Order: sequence, then C-alpha cells, then structure tokens
Amino acid sequence: MNTASLVVLVSLLIIVGGLALAIRPRGVSTLDFYLAGQRVGVATNASAICGDYFSAASFLGVAAAVYVSGLDGVWYATGFAAGFVPVLLFVATPLRRFGEFSIPDFLGRRLASDRVRLVAVGVVQLIILSYLVPQAVGSGITWQLLVGQGVGGLSPYVTGVIISTAAITGLVAFGGMRGTTWTQAVQFLLLLAALVWLAIAVLGSGFNYGTAVADLAAEPLVNPVNVDGQWELATTPNRLEAESSASFGEPGARYGGLGQFALIITLVMGTAGLPHVMNRYFTSPTGTAARMTTVWVLGLAGLFYALAVMLGTAARALIPTAVDEHPWLAELTVDGVLRVPEHALPVLGRMYGGEAGLGLVATGALIAVMSTIAGLLLASAASWGHDVYERHINPQATQRQAVWAGRAAVVVVSFASAGLALGLRPESLTALLPSIVATMVTWAFALAGSALTPVFILAIWWRRTTAAGAVAGMVVGALAAVAMFVAGAVIGDRGLGEMLMTPTIVAAPLAAAVTVLVSRRTQVPEDLELLWLKMHGTAADRHAMRLARLTIAGVDRQRKDRGTGDARR
Amino acid sequence: MNGDADEHDTPAEVDATVRTLRRVAVGYFVVFLVAIGGVPGLTLVLDWWSQGRLIGGMSPSFVMAAFGLYVFFFVIGLAAATLSTAVESRMLGGPDEDPTEEAEHQ
Amino acid sequence: MRGGSLPLAAVLGATWGLVYLVTQVFADPPLGVGTTVVAGVILTLLLTLGYPSALRGPRVSRASRVSRLPRTRRGPSSGSTRTLAAVGRPMPLRSGLTADAARRTAQLLRPLLGGDAVAITDRERVLAFVGPGEDHHTVGDPPQTEATARVLAGGRTVVVRQRSKLACREPNCPLQSAVVAPLAIGKRIVGTLKVYRVYTDPPARDLVEGMAGILSLHLELAELDRERNLAADAKLDALRAQINPHFLFNILNTIASKARTDPEEARQLLLRLSDFFRYAVRQDGHFAEFGQEYFFVRTYLALEQARYGDRVRVKYDIDPQVLTAHVPVLTIQPLVENAVKHGLADKLEGGTVTLKARVDPLTRTTAIQVSDDGVGIPPAILDKITSGELGASVGVGLRNISERLETLFGERYRLDVQSTEDAGTVIDLRIPLR
Repeated sequence: MNTASLVVLVSLLIIVGGLALAIRPRGVSTLDFYLAGQRVGVATNASAICGDYFSAASFLGVAAAVYVSGLDGVWYATGFAAGFVPVLLFVATPLRRFGEFSIPDFLGRRLASDRVRLVAVGVVQLIILSYLVPQAVGSGITWQLLVGQGVGGLSPYVTGVIISTAAITGLVAFGGMRGTTWTQAVQFLLLLAALVWLAIAVLGSGFNYGTAVADLAAEPLVNPVNVDGQWELATTPNRLEAESSASFGEPGARYGGLGQFALIITLVMGTAGLPHVMNRYFTSPTGTAARMTTVWVLGLAGLFYALAVMLGTAARALIPTAVDEHPWLAELTVDGVLRVPEHALPVLGRMYGGEAGLGLVATGALIAVMSTIAGLLLASAASWGHDVYERHINPQATQRQAVWAGRAAVVVVSFASAGLALGLRPESLTALLPSIVATMVTWAFALAGSALTPVFILAIWWRRTTAAGAVAGMVVGALAAVAMFVAGAVIGDRGLGEMLMTPTIVAAPLAAAVTVLVSRRTQVPEDLELLWLKMHGTAADRHAMRLARLTIAGVDRQRKDRGTGDARR
Repeated sequence: MNGDADEHDTPAEVDATVRTLRRVAVGYFVVFLVAIGGVPGLTLVLDWWSQGRLIGGMSPSFVMAAFGLYVFFFVIGLAAATLSTAVESRMLGGPDEDPTEEAEHQ
Repeated sequence: MRGGSLPLAAVLGATWGLVYLVTQVFADPPLGVGTTVVAGVILTLLLTLGYPSALRGPRVSRASRVSRLPRTRRGPSSGSTRTLAAVGRPMPLRSGLTADAARRTAQLLRPLLGGDAVAITDRERVLAFVGPGEDHHTVGDPPQTEATARVLAGGRTVVVRQRSKLACREPNCPLQSAVVAPLAIGKRIVGTLKVYRVYTDPPARDLVEGMAGILSLHLELAELDRERNLAADAKLDALRAQINPHFLFNILNTIASKARTDPEEARQLLLRLSDFFRYAVRQDGHFAEFGQEYFFVRTYLALEQARYGDRVRVKYDIDPQVLTAHVPVLTIQPLVENAVKHGLADKLEGGTVTLKARVDPLTRTTAIQVSDDGVGIPPAILDKITSGELGASVGVGLRNISERLETLFGERYRLDVQSTEDAGTVIDLRIPLR
C-alpha cells in the first residue's frame, strides 16, 4: 500500500474512532437521550440500524451485481435503500409507540390473538433462515479470497462457512455479544470507512466515473461462462431488446421489462418486514425520534449505496487493465473479467492497498456478515425462547430455561443455514444466478414483503383488521411467494419466470386483499380503542419529553446554583 | 415539581390525526411509487432516457439510478417526516408551552 | 400572501430555462422539441398547483374536496375590498396625507385647475410641487409663501396677485400669482392646496376651493377607515368577554360529579378546561392559525363529550395543509357549539358532529364545514336567520360571525347554512386563503 492510501486509511480510522467515542453509551433512558443531545442520539440509532441492515449483500453483493449486470445490478442498491421509505411513512412511528419488542409480539397484541403471534413467528423464522444462508455464503467466499486455503482438507469456501458460522454461533449463544446500539453503530462506521477509503483510492488513481461509464458502454457486456469445464467469455444478451447484446450503462443485462419493476418492488416492500431491523426501533425514546432516525437511515444508506455502485463500476473498468501489474489476478479472472463477481471489492482493495487493503475490505465484509448474522440469530433466539417456548411449550419456564431454549434454537438455526450454504456452491451457481449473494437475499425480502409487510401496514392503519384476517393474509402471502418462487426456479429465468422469482409484486396485493376480505367478516379485538390510542396517540411521547425537559431544566438550575454557591464561597 | 402533568388524547382527536396522517403517508407513497416505477419505466418509453448522455457516458437513467434516486429518497423522507411531526404536534396535545417558564414555576 | 404572482413567474421562468438547458445543452444528442415542451408543461403544472403549499413548508399539493350546497345566503364576491364610494377617479389621498399620495394627486390635478404649477402642503412642509418652479420650490422645505401660514391659521382661501407676496427667493422664478386653499378634516386644518400661474391673473378661485373641498372629503374618509378598524377590534374584545357562562357552569358540574367516580378523568377535564380559557383569553389580533382554532374546538368538544357521554360523537376530517392557514379567530368554535347545543343536545339518541377543513390552492380558498345529524333548524327560523332579523340565539351567533367576516374580508367570503328538520344542519364557510 502506498503512503497516500495509508495516510487516508489511518485518518479515516481516527475519525471513526473519534465518532465512536463521541457516541458511546451513557444510558438508554429518555433523559440521557436528551442530555446527550437529540441529534447525537438519532444519528447513533440510525447508524445502528444501518449496521444491522447492511449485510454481505449490501457490502459485497451490490458491487458484484453492478459488476456483472451494469445498470440492472444498480437496482439492487436502489431497492435496498428505497425500502426504508415505506418504513418511514407507515411503520416506524406507530411501531415504536405501541411498545412491543418484536413483530410477532406487535401483531399478537394489536390483534389480541395468540394464533397471530404463532403464525408470525413461523414466518419470521423462515425469513431469518433465508437471510442467514446468503450471509454464510458471503463469508465462505470472503474466506476463500482472504485466506485462500482450507483447513483439514476442506476447500477454502467450506472452511470459511464453517468457521464463521461456528464463531458467531458461539458468541451469540454463550457469550455477551448482545448487539448493543453502540457496537452496531461503530461496525457501520467501520464499514463506511472501508468504502470511503476504497472510493478515495480509486478516484485518486485517476478513475473518472463519467468516462469510465462511457468506455464501458462502448462495448457489449461480457461475462465468464463455464462451457464444458472451460471458462470463457460470452456476451450477455440484452433482455429488453432481442437480438442485441447488453451494455453496461443500459438496462436489460439481467431483467426484461417486467423484471425491472418486480425486483425493485420486492426489495422496497421487504424492508418493513425484516425482523432484526424492526427490532432496532425500540432503542428510540419516542415515536417522533423513530421517524427522524429513519430519515437519517435514508441519508446514510443513500451515501453507502452510491459509493458501492461507483466501486462496482470502477471494478469493471479497472480490473481488466490491472491483470498485467497484478499476477495474482490471473487465476481469479477470465480475460480480465472476474469469475466470481463478489470478489470485486476485495480485489480492488488488494490492488490499491496490497495485502493490507485486501485485509481491510475483507474485514469489512466479515464485520458486515457477522453483525447481521448476530442480529438475525438474536432475533431468532428471542422469538423461539420468548414467543414459542415461554408462551406455549412451557408456560412455567424459568428465566434460565427460556434462555437455554433460545440458545438451543440459535445452534439449530445456524447449523441449518450453514448446511444450506454448503450445499450451494457459488461457482457453479454463478452462471445461473449472477451475484448470488444479492439474489439470495432477495428471496428473504420477497418473503418478508409478501407475508409480513401487507399485514403489518394494514394492522397499523386500518382499524378493522382482525386476527383471522391477519392469519389468512400471512399464510396466503407466504404460500404465494414460495409457490411462485419454486415455479419460477422451474420455469427458468425469462419472461414470466423473472417475475415469479421476485414475487412480491403479485403476492403482496394478494395477501392484502385476503386480509381485507377476511377481516370484513370477523370481529375486531375488544379493547380496540385503547390499542388504537396507544399506537397512534402521542400522549406517552409528550409525557416523556416533558419529564425529560423538566428534569434537564432542574439539573441545569442545580448546576447553576452550585456554581454560584462555589463562587460566593 | 409538576410532574403529574398528565397527557391525554381523546379517541376523536387520535382518529382525526390518523386520518390526516394516513392521507399524508399515502400521498407521499404514491409519489414514491411513481418515481421508482418511472425511472426504470421510462427506459421502455423514452429513447433518450437510456441513449442520451448527461455526465460522461452516463445516461439519465444511470444518473438517476446511481445517485439521483438516493437524493430523492432522502428528500421525500425528510419532507414526509417533517410534515407528519408538524401535523401531530398541531393536532394532538396542548398549545406549545415554554419549558423555561415551567422550570420557573417549580 | 400578497404578491405571490411575482415569485411564481420568476420560478416558472427559471424552470423553463432549466428544462431548456437540460434537454438542449447538457443532453447529447439534444432532445426533440416535443419532449422539451412536454417536460416544461408538466413541470409548470406541478409548480402552479403545488406552489402555494410549497411556500408554507414541505407539503404535497392536493386538490380539495369541496361539498357543494345549495346556497341560501350571500352570493360570491367581487374583487375589491373597499366598498365605500369613490369620487370620480380613485384619488390617491384615500390613504391619507402622505408625500407620495400628494405628489400623485398634484400631478393628476395640474391639467384640471387652470394653473401652471400645483403644490400640496401639510401643516409643516411642502409635500408635493409639480410644474414650473419645482426646481427651487422643493419638497420637504417649509412653505415659503406667507399666505400659506395665513390659510393654515385662518382656514380661508387666500388669493395672491403680487409676485412679491409669493416671497420666492429665486429671482428667476416664473411664478407670478397663486390661490391657496385649505385642506380640512372636519374643523381641523391639516394642509393646503396651492395653485400657481406664471401670469399675473390668478387661477379661478372657485375651482381651486371646490377641488380643495373634494380633497378634504377624501382625507376625512381615510380617517374614518382607520377608526372603523379600531371599532372592529373593540367588537372582538366584547365577543371574547361573551364566552358563555352557562357552559362554564355545566362543565364544572360534570367535573364535580366525575371527581367521585373517576378522579383521573376529572383531573384531565380540569386541565382541558384551563386550556380552553387560556386560549380564549389570550387571543389578540384578528387571525389565528387553524391549528390553534382546531385545538380550541377539540378542547371544547372533549369537555362536551365528558358531559353528554356517548350522545355527542365527534368526527374530524382535516387536510394537513389547512393546519397552517390563518382563519379569523374564535369563529369555528361558536359554529361547533351551535351544532352541539341546538343540533344534538335535544336529540335523545345523540348524534355526530363533523368538522371538515380543506384548502383549495387553485381558488386560494379555505373551506370549513361544520355539520351535524341532529334535529336541524325549522324552515321558519332558518328564513329569519338568513334574512338577518334578530331571531333565536342561533341567529345572533351566526350574525356576529358574519359581521366579523365582512369586516375582515369585505365581500370575499361565503357563509352558507343548510338545514333539514330532523336530519341535520350543515354550515359551510369559505374564506380567502392566507
């Protein structure tokens, strides 16, 4: 790594360290929130949400998608960021005001039904599992690139999956990695610092975004395919215009007309149903703070993804010309194009920072993966332990028993995800599904967006939602999503199959319609008025803010009195 | 200390606020949908959207996807949040009190 | 929101410029004319519709949902705000004796008075001087003619035939003669009108005196305008003092009875009551934000709901943009009070009172509707109300409101009352958007 990039890296890390100190926790109450200054609290919460949300898919997967598919890959980033707009508009504030700590709890109490809670738990566990698998895949790929060797005769990929899964499982199940707001926020800052460093390094070496896109757009888009065991470059066909080849700066490399929309809608609707992200809203002291936190998240996410897209473009532009200078690139590429697109960012890191650069980016990827896995496992554990075990299997459970139930669940779930990740070998799948990590994460989003989000939004904004309606909606949404998905995998990736692979655009309205129809015929919960007041009234917020303001005014006055008292003495 | 200053909302007030906020949220959501449907959609309708060049080799479609839309999300997010908070503070709760005034009265 | 058109025009111009830049200069290849025009038109429409809302903060422009009622009372407005008579052409002096008004008047009058130069002064200095000699008879100086002082003191017209009596310092001054007439408001002399000629024959005295009389009339009307505004203030104060004592008595009763069964609720009601009176007493000025008036209404309705229980149900339907619009203070709550007292209180099973508020940015109107499904107003009484006779207390309240609205808006408001016996009443109020 040359001095310039080393200096930039060190200064970035110093800034991150300073910020980490500035936002360190002083307590979680409303009062401390105010004492620490409202802006700081909101920004910290927003960083923590981002830390939870940005997984390997955001960090490696988006750049990979852009690398492989050009503009069509950018829609991933757009969709991930856009997902927070419905959260802001429909979910953030009422969720916080209602005060329940997880989506199944929220739905269960809002609709006054245990059945709703159970069904929600089932859907949530499915979502968590489908979100965990691509994380494991991502960590396997990173290990493969970072270490390059397996342990005990296993391939590097397999080793990576097993080691990272085991490490995180151990930490979560038996240790203290509680995923506090502070640790998540600092992790996000580190991630952002890695991207910023890469961006500066790339721009500093003469990369011009505009001209790079111009150059790339001048030729058709080529990607490696495995033909009879031999890797060779093939032109990617343009799905929007038959008979012509795809180009980097134009859509059509991956999705036809329908697919362009279907992907974005899937990602947009999915965020509101992601359990580990929604759980984070409870660290905000008031509903209004939750709303403002989401605004900040939109800003931070936009910055993050804009950088990731630029770096994906940079990888596509710069790597072919760098093969000569960097011989290690030869085995990763086919005629200058990476075989595994998720290698794009780590390769850039190694190009501009040597081993240290690679280490930095790989560390960033691993941090993203592990923090997300931890968040997911925690959400899963809480769900099994609290929602299922405590309430149904063993109502007399002690605290310890519940905790052990949660731990057992964590181990089972993570083994399942590791198993699935091992079954899917990314190299073989790349030809079928470019940018595999991002694609797999989309499945989780599709499930969340079809089964949970419509019911969630209806429960919050429509009084007449009933428990039966919610159960029907969730079941229909989940089944529709899974069925369409399997059908799409069978039919293949073209035409209707595209939409089937990202089924939210059909499954979500279906789930909503079913919920409405069934709710019309059944009874609303009895204390609906009280529940509605709790969810939408600002009385509790105002009370908390007034108390905080009064206490601060009192503290200030005490300080002033003490000060003048000292002076007088 | 007047810490018992209880806050209370009547169901009619909360109902009114929900109705108004729902209107705001749906309005902004429609604008949002038009934008995220429009940016890829214009490719199919308007040639210039993917053939024209705005910055270097980037078509308007690319510019919007790569950073324009993020700015848009942030802006409408901020606008919706500010409006919602303003509506809530006007439609629920009492008139604005001066906190220093209250502190004096302790 | 006066003068909103100028910034709008500027913004529209800038938008078209921007569209041109983007489509013809930045884009490569440049866009066709059709696309440019379409883009420009769409942006223009968006701006024109969303512009009033944008000026008030981040809002989404919406078309209003206005309920159409058959009109039973006044018709729509004309444009002017002054309804008192104007003499011939509108005279600038209607806004009072200022230098600007004086100058414009003098310019207007110069061809009419048979003189060469016209001047208007107040008691201390020259406000305007138009015609030959204006280079040295300067505005702002004390009047030079000693005749002026005599007119100010005595209140009678003076004719000056000799150049020496004009007492002009400049030897080359062309003016030879003058007629000086007083400008008076009632018995008070507030200034003079002076007409000069470059000949030794002075101007026609009657003409100048007559014109001075007309100018005096205009000054007097300006004074009356000011006084009328003061009177409106006084009336408002009286209205505030009129807050119904029965209401207070009833509410305190309710609170007292609840204090035994539900002390928590009683305390909350007391807090609401104190909010209610603090608001009513604290108002100074003619307008308040709708959000404030809405607070007053919902406080009042919360209290009434405590008293009547389930017999009074409430529904609000408020547009987010209307919350910052300015409405006349203490206008909405009396309408709602009417609805509750006369509409719902006598109905056994109770009813619902609905408050709807909308803003229409295109016609720049705030529309407020108070409706109830109570006992309605019998047609006979409705006729009495709309014809303006002293009728039931409903009529008095509505009359007060409409008088205040007329004071504030002239003819530019609409207050419609529609009622069907046993079905309900709808009161529709349209005022200009501020």
